[in-house]
Amino acid sequence: MIKSDVQLDAKGLACPMPIVKTKKAMSDVAEGQVLEVQATDKGSVADLAAWSKTVGHQYIGTSEDNGVFYHYIRKCNLETSEAMEKSFEPTISNEEAVAGEGLILDVREVAEYAFGHIPGAKSIPMGDLTNRLNELDPSQTIYVICRTGTRSDLAAQQLKAAGFTNIYNVLPGMTGYTGELQKEVQ
Amino acid sequence: MSNKVAIIAANGGLFDAYKVFNIATAAAASDKEVAIFFTFEGLNLIHKQGMQALEMPAGKEHFAEGFAKAQIPAIPELVEMAIELGVKFIACQMTMDVMGLTKEDFVDGIEVGGAVTFLEYAKDAAPTLTF
Repeated sequence: MIKSDVQLDAKGLACPMPIVKTKKAMSDVAEGQVLEVQATDKGSVADLAAWSKTVGHQYIGTSEDNGVFYHYIRKCNLETSEAMEKSFEPTISNEEAVAGEGLILDVREVAEYAFGHIPGAKSIPMGDLTNRLNELDPSQTIYVICRTGTRSDLAAQQLKAAGFTNIYNVLPGMTGYTGELQKEVQ
Repeated sequence: MSNKVAIIAANGGLFDAYKVFNIATAAAASDKEVAIFFTFEGLNLIHKQGMQALEMPAGKEHFAEGFAKAQIPAIPELVEMAIELGVKFIACQMTMDVMGLTKEDFVDGIEVGGAVTFLEYAKDAAPTLTF
């Protein structure tokens, strides 16, 4: 099971109902949260990816278990999330972070991490960070990464405020990462 | 990119109904503005009684089992879903006159209009589909 914020049971439903139900369920999902759609319709695999692209949400991926597809979609608001200012300094490139000595801290949602992350990266979703600071070593260099550099910018600021000193925001983030990916799902 | 989808429904069988309402609800669920112009036999698809008993094409009746097995929603359910998602239904005035039908013969909330009503809507729609 991959952690998600809201779950939708669309099993047994035929096209176009999984899409219609997903559209309705999305209204109960907060921006940045992850919706899990459970469906048995084989067409839903291509359809939900296309739907996400059309309406501007982030399609994270699909895993299959015993004839049931588990689709993960993160709710986005293109106007606010992509245009957010990134203010944290210093920053570091993807390549420098991967080659560096420090810890890569991936602050994306658990589902995003599960469908592909940099080998060795540690996962703490941004929303959990303040409660999980004890898992991090303040003396260690930490490279904070997310999908586009926005969440990692905020996370880096939180870490700095908590007294961490060797913090870098990784830009451009996972969208620009072309190296090896480690996955937690098949 | 146009955010409007325009559909002409000109045929009145069960298969026609699925083609029309599946595309329409999928488009509406993808945040598109959708209007369907029902003309000639297509009016059957939103006729209160007619839509309850749409026929399969001759010789294709054996597909009934496949519909049940795949748990395909009934047409009245899809019609309700389409309305709920904001799909606009336009019934063709001329066909209604020819067939002696009034607005009350159809599901609630439809508009009645002529060819120009549809053309005006469809002039900047992409895609425009005909079934």
